[in-house]
Amino acid sequence: MSANPSSRDKQTTDFGYQEVPLEEKASRVADVFHSVAARYDVMNDLMSFGIHRLWKRLTIERAGVRPGHSVLDIAGGTGDLTLKFSRLVGPRGRVVLADINESMLRVGRDKLLDHGVGGNVEYVQANAECLPFPDNTFDCITIAFGLRNVTDKDAALRSMARVLKPGGRLLVLEFSKPGNPLLTKAYDEYSFRLLPRIGQVVASDADSYRYLAESIRMHPDQETLKGMMEAAGLERVEYTNMTGGIVALHRGIKL
Amino acid sequence: MALTPTLLLAAAERTLNGLLARDPAAPSRLARLAGQRLLLRLEHPELALAIHFHGGGLDLLRPDDPAEEAYDAVVEVDAETLGALLGGASMERLMFQGRLAVRGRIPLLEATRDLLLDLDLDWEGELARWLGDIPAHSLAEGLRRLGRFGLRTREEFCADLSEYLVEEARLLPGRPQLEVLRDHLTELEVASDRLEARLARLHRRLADRVTP
Repeated sequence: MSANPSSRDKQTTDFGYQEVPLEEKASRVADVFHSVAARYDVMNDLMSFGIHRLWKRLTIERAGVRPGHSVLDIAGGTGDLTLKFSRLVGPRGRVVLADINESMLRVGRDKLLDHGVGGNVEYVQANAECLPFPDNTFDCITIAFGLRNVTDKDAALRSMARVLKPGGRLLVLEFSKPGNPLLTKAYDEYSFRLLPRIGQVVASDADSYRYLAESIRMHPDQETLKGMMEAAGLERVEYTNMTGGIVALHRGIKL
Repeated sequence: MALTPTLLLAAAERTLNGLLARDPAAPSRLARLAGQRLLLRLEHPELALAIHFHGGGLDLLRPDDPAEEAYDAVVEVDAETLGALLGGASMERLMFQGRLAVRGRIPLLEATRDLLLDLDLDWEGELARWLGDIPAHSLAEGLRRLGRFGLRTREEFCADLSEYLVEEARLLPGRPQLEVLRDHLTELEVASDRLEARLARLHRRLADRVTP
């Protein structure tokens, strides 16, 4: 979550439910992802019962990517979106898979190479808050399940808006707030009781999955994120709730 | 938002790619199609479906903004015509009847149809991956024998049933009896035509005598 003014004064930000020094969050998030990288895909399938594939599929459909486009997949992790985008943009286009975490990037690169993806994909280790690309570079930018791990989300959204071409789309796929109280209760039980246990059994790492649940609760809700995207300079921002609002897909256009 | 259409599409894509992966001839066909995009617009139910071909199969997507210029071919069709097309009906005939509209590269639609209709699945090869060559061959051979037995049994059953109905129970006429009946009916038809012609001639003669 973005460091708010008060937490900025104290130079702290959230790391799940903990307050940590601002400069410490990135390294602690990095530790989490170094720890889970090897079993990231398996855990995603287990935790979401495979539904994350449908959420990502809808993101790809909404991206409107065409042959020849340039696409930036931030926090691309193990490359699920990049794999599809590389086919859609074709040999004339390019896809940049960016992730701040070296382990995730390595797992993603290996997986894509195993799928025969090569020529039009580049791999960049980059911080979403200060993307190392010129202004107006990409036709489409996606960040799937990555924004909540960024220390300064407003800076990241501004950075994405900067490198987006006029007319380009930014899509943010992220956990959000369910609308139904019953679903919220069931979701809380699942996240805080079951998820760390699954993490312990499958990845031998309960803490990382506890952080996952906490970071989801600390992430801004649908309307707040929409306002943040608009503040970053994006227009026609809209969002689509999926699975009862557990996940939301926000889309904004740079005009 | 309901993820059902996305789920159905994902399942369809997975099934098709699974089938294509089991056809030894598919890779060369897919290589010719790789990189091409087909937009299918269904009228009833209203649905736009983008098909992207790649070396390993195809991607099925519901395009958010189905701008035609991004596709190599655009096909407009209703569900009935799509069924006929996939059932092997002539594309040209459907186009001349105005039931099928294609813009862009027409051969792409033809190649897509051939890719799906000419699937020749190597089931034995797939079984061999799981069971080993010899058990897979034995199982496949057993299934083939079972298939041949089924065909032979069906033919024999049809022959026996026909014999019973015609020869033993005499519930239905046999083919020779049917032929004789047809000949008699034809003769009767010719005779009645002649009679009709004679009557018409007699009517005309009577009318001539009555008239001074």
